[in-house]
Amino acid sequence: MGASSKGQVTQRQIEVRRSRLGLCAVALFAFALCAGQTANVRAGRLDEMSVDRWKKLRETERYQLNIAEKYFRAQRNWKVAAAEYEKYLTLYERSDAAPYAQLMWSICQSNLKNKHTAIKEGFQSVIDYWPDSPDAVSAAYYIGLTYKQIGEVRKAKKAYQKVLADYAKHPVTVFAMSELVDVSVLEKDLPTRVVLWKKLTFESKRTSGRDVRNICEKASRDLAVHSFNIGAFGDGVKALETTYLEPVIVANVVANVRGPIATQVADTKTKAKADKLADLAISYVVGITPSDTSTPEKELFAIQHWFHVVDINASAGRTTKVPPLYNQIIQKFGEDDVVLGRLAGWWKTQKQYDKARQTYGRFKNKIEGQNQIAVSYRNERRIEPAVLAYRKLMLDDAENTHKWHAQIAVTYDENRQYKKAIEVYLQLLKEDIEQADKWRWAVAYDYERSGQHKQAIGYYRQCSNFPSNYQRMAGCHIALKQYGEAIVLYNQIVGGAPSSAPWASLQIGYTLERAGKKELAIRQFQLVCKRFPKDGHASQAHAHLQNKYKITATLGGAKSED
Amino acid sequence: MVQARKWNKHPAVLLTVASALAWIVLVADWLWFNRVAGIVLRVEWGQLLFEFQPIYWIVFLPPLFISTFWLVWALRKQPRSNLRVLVVASAAYPFCWQLAVFVAGNAADWTGWTGFDTLRAQFARFGTAALFFLGLFWMIWIIERGSRYYDRLRIARLLAQEAEGGPTAAIHGGVADILPNEEPPVWNALDINAWYYNLRTDDLFSLSRWARLISSLSNRSADPQTRPQRKLNQSLSGLAGYCFVFLITFLVFSNIGGCQEQFEMPAGGGEQKQIAQVVKVQKIIKKKFVVNPFSAIRFKVPPIDEIKLQLLEVTKHAYKIGQGAGDGAGFSGGTRKGKVRFVRLEYTGGDWDQDFGVGADLNMLIEYGIRTKQKVNDKTESRTIGQLKNFAKYKNQPIVYLTGQRNISLSKSEIKIVNGYLIEKHGMIFFDNGGSGNFHNQVISMMNRVLPNVRPVQIPRDDVIHRVPYPIPRLPYVAPHGGRVALGWKVDGRWVAYYHPGDIGDAWTDDHSRVPPEVWESCYQLGTNVIFYAYAEYNKWVQAQKAK
Repeated sequence: MGASSKGQVTQRQIEVRRSRLGLCAVALFAFALCAGQTANVRAGRLDEMSVDRWKKLRETERYQLNIAEKYFRAQRNWKVAAAEYEKYLTLYERSDAAPYAQLMWSICQSNLKNKHTAIKEGFQSVIDYWPDSPDAVSAAYYIGLTYKQIGEVRKAKKAYQKVLADYAKHPVTVFAMSELVDVSVLEKDLPTRVVLWKKLTFESKRTSGRDVRNICEKASRDLAVHSFNIGAFGDGVKALETTYLEPVIVANVVANVRGPIATQVADTKTKAKADKLADLAISYVVGITPSDTSTPEKELFAIQHWFHVVDINASAGRTTKVPPLYNQIIQKFGEDDVVLGRLAGWWKTQKQYDKARQTYGRFKNKIEGQNQIAVSYRNERRIEPAVLAYRKLMLDDAENTHKWHAQIAVTYDENRQYKKAIEVYLQLLKEDIEQADKWRWAVAYDYERSGQHKQAIGYYRQCSNFPSNYQRMAGCHIALKQYGEAIVLYNQIVGGAPSSAPWASLQIGYTLERAGKKELAIRQFQLVCKRFPKDGHASQAHAHLQNKYKITATLGGAKSED
Repeated sequence: MVQARKWNKHPAVLLTVASALAWIVLVADWLWFNRVAGIVLRVEWGQLLFEFQPIYWIVFLPPLFISTFWLVWALRKQPRSNLRVLVVASAAYPFCWQLAVFVAGNAADWTGWTGFDTLRAQFARFGTAALFFLGLFWMIWIIERGSRYYDRLRIARLLAQEAEGGPTAAIHGGVADILPNEEPPVWNALDINAWYYNLRTDDLFSLSRWARLISSLSNRSADPQTRPQRKLNQSLSGLAGYCFVFLITFLVFSNIGGCQEQFEMPAGGGEQKQIAQVVKVQKIIKKKFVVNPFSAIRFKVPPIDEIKLQLLEVTKHAYKIGQGAGDGAGFSGGTRKGKVRFVRLEYTGGDWDQDFGVGADLNMLIEYGIRTKQKVNDKTESRTIGQLKNFAKYKNQPIVYLTGQRNISLSKSEIKIVNGYLIEKHGMIFFDNGGSGNFHNQVISMMNRVLPNVRPVQIPRDDVIHRVPYPIPRLPYVAPHGGRVALGWKVDGRWVAYYHPGDIGDAWTDDHSRVPPEVWESCYQLGTNVIFYAYAEYNKWVQAQKAK
């Protein structure tokens, strides 16, 4: 019985599996049919090979291609990668991946700054020898791109237009159109740009990868802003609707319309236009504001719409309308920290700090409200009230005492009251051992800024963030005119931190100069030029030698590597 | 009979007027527009090559014959009048002067002898002075004759009034200083009785004198005793006015482009190709040993890699470095007296003169001459941005060098001039960052203003500017002030600006900033490439314009 039932179940399971497999196969076939043309782009980028093509390659071909890809993608060693792709072409000329190898060789040449070679001997060869391969489409696009990179804008434009004409249905046209938009910016050709934006927004399929989608979405936003600028609010919304769906469309319409409103309202000539645009935007938002606030989510959604109305009014410079609108929101939805926070923030933009603090005082989260009050005092550079507010916070919020205590020190620092800040940091150093390094550095830095260099050196010495602490210590020694000690420290940096060595070597030169040892300083500057000819500090040393000492013999010089 | 004589004269007058009009138009073109300058006729005679601009010759030469004809006519015409001869000679002067300058310039082009160039400059200079004195002479003559004419008119009117019973007192002396009744104050500058000739220097600062002058305006008659003073005032006013007008005209002409500066390329031709490097391999085979493998003596046979190869690299110029068809290295649009020049651009705001002249720029220019075998100038020069405007369109300096390490402050008009130089005159700027990251930003900012529609791009390694005549696979620099990448601005397929980020000029100095030899050698090569590129591209353009 058991066995038979077991056998029945198994049989059923097999049938189910078969039917599932059948469905999967149909789905895969349908997917393959739909995506056939876009396979190459679906792989991600134009310089990547589709999985379908990859799996058709022989093991030896894959092996060689993998080597080349490793140098290209992981190591970005274009020279070696180009040689490996070339080797692939020599060995497997008739392979399916030959056009791909040729394309990649061309991209390597382009990255090696051999742009003309890349176009004439690379991309063009892909089109000439393998015109039906998917790589020919990419090559056609890359020709335009490379021409643009070498400043041949006209040729680039022609190449992109050829891509549009030859591969009208291929997703690569999206990239070509995006580049043509850029060309139209250079040529100050707005009508062409608008046509391209419209094509990208309304006619291009966005299913061929993230890059394509991003380009189309950007085009839709640009088109919307353009439409808003010329007063065509409806067209702008339509453009955005291609990118954003129902819940987020409002936010994006408002985000894109606020700029044009603010720009136009600033000019008296276009103020009327701005008012009209603002009214249209407000009526649009009000029109779709949900009346159903039965659930917290729906209520939040409705509040967001009200915020958009406030934002549009604020952008249109209608400052008198903003507080009443917030009051309306509060009356309608009740007092909420988010609403109050926005209202207080608006008062701050109007420099009405007292009203802002009154609003923060109404916060349900009293700690956050008190923090914001303290911040508003800091914004006004009123130290004592801010410190008092933080002290109150230390009492009210015992769990975060150190956090608020540190804010007191920061407030003193902002106002250059370093002694008081040091006192706070020293106290923190005793109390908050977990972050001792941080407070030690803060104490040292404040000692240095207050001119107490000896004390600063003492605290920097205890810090463990080499070479930063050595750099600051050397600076303090220079301030104390202890040039010898400073040079010792700089030398330690040269030896211990290779990435900071050029900087430290240059500082040795400056320090020797301050110490009056001009000959040694000159030698040191020349040494910087000689040792680190490719570093920016060599440039400074070279210029300093010429300007200050009128010395042209700087011993530098090199050739660029890539 | 009279009718017939008039008709006989008309063709000569018509021809003269037509010739004068054509001359004015062509002189304007010659000085400023250069529309027909591209039409050239080449005649080879032995080793000499004569390049004519036929339209100029057709229009500039006839006035000489026409002037001679009218001069002979004036001398032979009876009764003989010196005035007539002077008028004709004066009218003929500008034509002949311009022809002399033109012929001297052409002779300099044909022969390549700089003496003709000097002669042309002297003709231009002394001709201007002669024109000034000629004008002055006629101005004095006109004032004198005009003054007398108005005196005569006034006397005639007074006599007529007297005949009608008017005042007779004036008949004695100073009759010319009494104005007839009910005539308004005289404003005519040719009339010595013009009211403003009564003014004296101290009159200008004295209220009482002004009051007296105003009352004299109502009286209108002038004091006969002040006649010498008025005469002097008239003469001085005339002289000052003439000088002012002459000066303004001269300035306007020179600013419009009358004093155009012409830069000639060296004549010749060549190919815009990479220098061919010939490597001669000479094997030095060491002593040969016949080795017995079964010998009891062990002998180490050197591997083949240890055979010494002596490579003798010879840079062989398999072709002439130049552009176009012509004998010798040079440019087909060049002239015998033409030379490659190194011109530095002066600007405000920074140290444009860093390493200027002998010991740096000149080294580069000399090296260019040695490497390309083209004729180079014996000194380097500098020009202000304003002077770029005066560069002749078809005889332009193809490249100017701009360096420094501080700010580049250009006015709007200077930006326009630089744009015109780069685009209309097909020039090129060779920027060199002389010592700061700030200068890099200054260059970018300047070019953004000069060419707002062109973005800077990295110049590829395999671009013609990095290949011809020397291959520059890696950019050499003295210090990486503005990075390690050469930037360029391209307009219509041509680099109009080349920016070197790393003080290439310092590598051209006498001590080469003591950079490694391969670096300064590469810097010279790069300099040669950029200068040659600018000249070659300019030559191509000039030739294309001539072909049109």
